[in-house]
Amino acid sequence: MKKERTLWNDGTKTVAASLLSILMGVVFGGVLLLVVALCLHMPLSSAWEGFRIVLAGVFNTGRNYDAGSALTFGINARLVGDMLFRATPLIMTGLSVALAYKTGLFNIGAPGQYLMGTAMAIIVALSLDTTVIPAFLVWLLAFLAAIAAGALWGCIPGAFKAYLNVNEVITSIMTNWIAANLVTLLFDGSQFINNVDFGKTGYTLKTSTNGVATAKMGLDFGGGNANAGFLIAIVFAVVTYVVINKTTFGYELRSCGSNKNAAKYAGMNEKRNIVLSMAIAGGLSAAGAALYFLQGDVEFYWHTSMTLPATGFNGIPVALLASCSPIGCVFSGMFMAYLTISGSQLSTFTAYNEYIANIIIAVIVYLSAFTLFFKGLMDARKKAPKGGDKAAAEPAGRGTKKP
Amino acid sequence: MAENYVVEMLNITKVFPGIVANDNITLQLRRGEIHALLGENGAGKSTLMSVLFGLYQPEGGEIHMDGKRVEIRDPNDANALHIGMVHQHFKLVECFTVLDNIILGVEPNKLGFLQKKEARKKVVALSEKYGLLVDLDALVEDITVGMQQRTEILKMLYRENEILIFDEPTAVLTPQEIGELMQIMKNLAAEGKSILFITHKLNEIMEVCDRCSVLRKGKYIGTVDIAGTTKEELSRMMVGRDVKFAVDKAPAQPGETVLKVSGLTVPSKVHHNNAVKDVSFEVRRGEIVCIAGIDGNGQTEFVYALSGLEKASAGKIELCGRDVTHSSIRQRSKAGMSHIPEDRHKHGLVLDFPLEDNLVLQRYMEPRFQKGGFIQREPIRAYAEEMIGKFDIRSGQGPVTPVRSMSGGNQQKAIIAREIDLNADLLVAVQPTRGLDVGAIEYIHSQIVQQRDLGKAVLLVSLELDEVMNLSDRILVMYEGEIVGELDPKQTTVEELGLYMAGAKRNVGRKEGAAS
Amino acid sequence: MTFLLQQTVIYTVPLILVALAGVFAERSGIINLALEGIMIIGAFVGAWFVRAMQEGGWNENAAQWLLILTLLITAAAGALFSLLLSFSAVKMKADQTIGGTALNLLAPALVLFMVNIVFQQNTLNLRYDAPSWFMLFQTDFGFERKAKLGLIGDLLLNKTYLTTYLGLLIYVVLAIILYKTRFGLRLRACGEHPQAADSVGINVYRMRYLGTSISGALAGMGGFIYTLTTSNGAANGDVAGFGFLALAVMIFGNWKPLNIAIVGFLFGLLKCVSASSGTLDINGDGVYLLAQIGVSTYVYNMLPYVITLVVLAFTSKKSRAPKAEGIPYDKGQR
Repeated sequence: MKKERTLWNDGTKTVAASLLSILMGVVFGGVLLLVVALCLHMPLSSAWEGFRIVLAGVFNTGRNYDAGSALTFGINARLVGDMLFRATPLIMTGLSVALAYKTGLFNIGAPGQYLMGTAMAIIVALSLDTTVIPAFLVWLLAFLAAIAAGALWGCIPGAFKAYLNVNEVITSIMTNWIAANLVTLLFDGSQFINNVDFGKTGYTLKTSTNGVATAKMGLDFGGGNANAGFLIAIVFAVVTYVVINKTTFGYELRSCGSNKNAAKYAGMNEKRNIVLSMAIAGGLSAAGAALYFLQGDVEFYWHTSMTLPATGFNGIPVALLASCSPIGCVFSGMFMAYLTISGSQLSTFTAYNEYIANIIIAVIVYLSAFTLFFKGLMDARKKAPKGGDKAAAEPAGRGTKKP
Repeated sequence: MAENYVVEMLNITKVFPGIVANDNITLQLRRGEIHALLGENGAGKSTLMSVLFGLYQPEGGEIHMDGKRVEIRDPNDANALHIGMVHQHFKLVECFTVLDNIILGVEPNKLGFLQKKEARKKVVALSEKYGLLVDLDALVEDITVGMQQRTEILKMLYRENEILIFDEPTAVLTPQEIGELMQIMKNLAAEGKSILFITHKLNEIMEVCDRCSVLRKGKYIGTVDIAGTTKEELSRMMVGRDVKFAVDKAPAQPGETVLKVSGLTVPSKVHHNNAVKDVSFEVRRGEIVCIAGIDGNGQTEFVYALSGLEKASAGKIELCGRDVTHSSIRQRSKAGMSHIPEDRHKHGLVLDFPLEDNLVLQRYMEPRFQKGGFIQREPIRAYAEEMIGKFDIRSGQGPVTPVRSMSGGNQQKAIIAREIDLNADLLVAVQPTRGLDVGAIEYIHSQIVQQRDLGKAVLLVSLELDEVMNLSDRILVMYEGEIVGELDPKQTTVEELGLYMAGAKRNVGRKEGAAS
Repeated sequence: MTFLLQQTVIYTVPLILVALAGVFAERSGIINLALEGIMIIGAFVGAWFVRAMQEGGWNENAAQWLLILTLLITAAAGALFSLLLSFSAVKMKADQTIGGTALNLLAPALVLFMVNIVFQQNTLNLRYDAPSWFMLFQTDFGFERKAKLGLIGDLLLNKTYLTTYLGLLIYVVLAIILYKTRFGLRLRACGEHPQAADSVGINVYRMRYLGTSISGALAGMGGFIYTLTTSNGAANGDVAGFGFLALAVMIFGNWKPLNIAIVGFLFGLLKCVSASSGTLDINGDGVYLLAQIGVSTYVYNMLPYVITLVVLAFTSKKSRAPKAEGIPYDKGQR
């Protein structure tokens, strides 16, 4: 069948482009390790060790001090569990960015939505008395409250875009920093701060102190952090996929994303769709935050007024690597978590530090912008101007032009 | 060489992926003449001029100036050779003043600091010499299209260009402005400037040009002296056969009123005035009513208000007896309005979607195409197959072809198929044949007539005089947002229609508005 | 009062300098979301260079020359880093928002990686602290230590940094260049209508590279000035969203230098108030007015962003954003 072939080809191209970005990012990281080793007169073997951990950090089982401190590799259940746990919010923020992108919107507001979700989840989880209300119900309420807060936060840039035609990137940046300060304001001097453990004033209490924690559902992984949250993220990914590709609502969202004017012409309510899309995107980011912090055993550094959470921004590379495919986000989210774990193993076992993982991620984001360019080039070749139809060569309906 | 030409383009060939835009074309320009370059849309006129202006590099052929071979790699080279061009879409920075636009690229300066005083003196002198009235300190976004064009001409003169290219300069002008432009062109030629005039309007060629070269489908057809030719001959050369002007159609048999527009007024997005002023008319079953007019006289805004894309500030729209003035686009569609939009890429199609998804753009929510909010792929595919067969839409991969990869004619056919199959009582068709080849035009015309004969009301908006004259049963002329004339195509002439379109004549509406 | 004004000016200068950085990029047609990242790089390179010079035995008496040299170095570093953005946007025609975001992720990662591995710590500090080396006192201008200079004199000549004046000077000079020179006219044309610029022989690609590089240089300098004057020159891969604040200033200021200067001063004041609301004695009468009002510092922090949002809501129709910004220019498509 002709059709299957083209789809397969396009799919292969997409995956190939993403893998290429990853490869180049990792190679860049390796070269950087080498250069640093050379410049700082570190033994070259240390660069090689670092590179091996970058590649296979999750499978690193430490060093064998009996055998000349050589790095050892194997199945490290705990780290695998950690990876799944860390992947959970990344998958969700990735879905958030991907869904918005399908509607022609660049959701750089994921960090703010993530923060709002974090705050609501923690506040609800710690406020409600679990001796009165069952803990799982509190968990659910906290989860839903987080989604509501994130959706609200996503609505703001959505409404600005839909009704005032203000670029969503600009408004998202504003709402991000408003959220950063608002969240700090909410926690500053509140009952949710951990004053129990001396010297930990910057953190909130764990939700498990109120008995609220995500069920393990068999995802034990040697006492690692993994829990049912990962499964919930996968469910979200599948649902997002179905909504975007199989429903009339998704059809409308994609129409708005590809050609806002045509969507309007066809009678779709493109303004409502833009707001809804951003609201859902916000909800997804916030849900990611809830799944992370409701795990029960994590503390939130609430003094966020000066920094935005990396997990929010990392939704962008997750979505880009997945070419905005919801199912792809599961894998790219896991890959990003894999890199993060590698980074922390690097800090523990070598002279290098975890920031190399962030560098690799940044390089991948940078390169993934080129991927779009390459794919665009292929499309451009396909739409070569036919018999005097000049307009065909012009880019159609750019969705994200500033007012 | 028998004659000295100021510019010779010899055997120019320019190939784009999938198409030969210029196939071995030769063009010779004499000093001080106005030389028309005639051809239909897509004949390769603009491509040829872009080659001369250095925007494109040809695959074959050479350019000579005053007998010497020259290389023109970019607009800088063209400028150095004193070639200037007024582009079809003006190349003016809207938020700059007229003066800034004129000097941009060749700014007089001291140590990099702009010296506008001397520039101003030079521009004022030029504008007086050639009668090019402009306000040098006005922002381009605030001045009329005519003045913008004069700014473009001054840009060329300021650069002391000798060869002036005008790319479809009259398309955006009012008749008065066209008259002024013609006079300016004659003045320029009299001063020894050589002019290349790209157009497809025969009257203008007959009025000002000395010679005319004709292109058809990328090929050079020939060059003729205007003094020894006729419009008919030129048009034969342009389209390659005797133009079949008449569309086969029976006399109209109008029935009940389908569309009733009364007092419709639409504010303009560009200026503070109303773009559409107090427009009233009716369209009945079984007739094709055409709104004629020069581009930019409120037709676009009118259609936007009619279809619901924009809000009207006053007036009433009734469709089949229902007031739809404040209805949404979808409600209007359901009440019986289908709309072939002016810009098929902006409004008509989602280019990244496959053909089948574009064919159900308004109908995806109908029960046959969805169940409980889930798209039903099979019925959509079957429907698309049916439409492809019925309307002869050619595409590489059938229903799943990305629309972007289809030709303009087939894209338009897809839109027409979709809109006609809505089976609406009113079909609004806006420039349905723009940019298409003759075969596609004939097909689309026959489809529109067929709809009329099936008892639909058709409202056609067109800029093409031939289309207006041949397709419509009734003509409404729109000028500066008003209906200024209602004409019967059988009893009027193109010339008379032209007078109405130019605002020089009116037979409806207020009398005091008529031009003297 | 003097303290409040002086602190405000200290915040304002890097703020408007970085906002102007945004203007130069956007007026050439490139959206520079990476201002924050470039500032981080500038701050890091500046701190590293100053530290190295101090350790290398730079004479403290020539500290002001070191400052000038460092400004040049940070400008070069910023321009170099911004080439990553212009390459992606101009040459690769990539999405500028993604490119900018990538640089914002890259800058702190790179800085923290380097600081950690080279200096074995999280923050890179100067060898000798900034005030003792670089701060100018009235004695430096030839006044007696006890001499009363009045409000203006005190504001301008006591406890100030040379970078403040240099920053203002650069700001004014560049604003003039943007409006009064051939280069400025051409740059603005590229951001508004690159096809028009191209048709009169202006190399749009080159102008966009130049605009972004100037932007990078300004942001790099701004990053260094910011950390030098507000956090003792320490570099830790973070400028606390100052680059984004500058973006807000640019938008609120409608891409115009004069408006930006005014908005920058307003936001600088808010930043200053938020930083020192608890300890600020405006009139010098021993009453800590702001502390008594009891508004949280985070509210002051938030205000610039809220104000910008509100302004956007009301002026979206009148926005003077360069028309062609964010759209890759392709010579083939016209």
